[in-house]
Amino acid sequence: MADHRSALRFELQELLLVALGAVPGALLRWQLSLHLTDQNLLANVLGAACLGFLGGLPAAPRRQLLVGVGFCGSLTTFSSWMLDAVRLLASGDVASAAGLIGLTLGLGLGAAALGLQMGRRIRLPGPPRSEP
Amino acid sequence: MALGAIPGAWLRLKAVNHLQPMVPRKHWGTFVVNGIACFSLGLLMALLEGCGAATGVALLIGVGFLGSLSTFSTFVVDVLNELRAGEALLALVLLLASVFTGLVAAAAGYALGAHG
Repeated sequence: MADHRSALRFELQELLLVALGAVPGALLRWQLSLHLTDQNLLANVLGAACLGFLGGLPAAPRRQLLVGVGFCGSLTTFSSWMLDAVRLLASGDVASAAGLIGLTLGLGLGAAALGLQMGRRIRLPGPPRSEP
Repeated sequence: MALGAIPGAWLRLKAVNHLQPMVPRKHWGTFVVNGIACFSLGLLMALLEGCGAATGVALLIGVGFLGSLSTFSTFVVDVLNELRAGEALLALVLLLASVFTGLVAAAAGYALGAHG
């Protein structure tokens, strides 16, 4: 009984953290797509930088759920990007499709690498360590 | 839109965790989820275009649910991590396989919705 309860509490906490990150992430992606006609390029590059940055920080499971899985995961999208590329291909615009795929991949990888470097340089205030 | 995003992100987390023991590396779980989302989005958009514009459904399921189910950031960071670990070949395989599968899945979904 107690095991079930703690498992349920863990699941709910996980759901809450992911949901709290996912809603602003998805809303930001939606707003960006309404105001820019960049086929989610900016949202994907921003999310890649953010997740890279997170990867450079010391591991923290809750922060990973909230910001990593929730916010960055929902801010970025794979399916819309691929569907946009398919639509360009179907209209015969192979160059634009290749450009969209190449640009998103290149900028995304660059942004993730940059984010990672920045994350590694940041020192978060943590509990004071006892000096030996 | 937000109503679709929460189950999308949560299902992605659960699916990737569930697939993790079955696949050699964790990122193939993201690969599977992304492929399914691409197929579903192609199918949905073709069906919606076939029966006139239903922007509410497109927002809820297309932008909210499927947009949050699939992810670009995890995919890119996975590729980067393989590169940094010196696994350039694995990074290239993951990158090409993801893009190719995504394109084929989205096109197949779209074709099915438009002609099926």
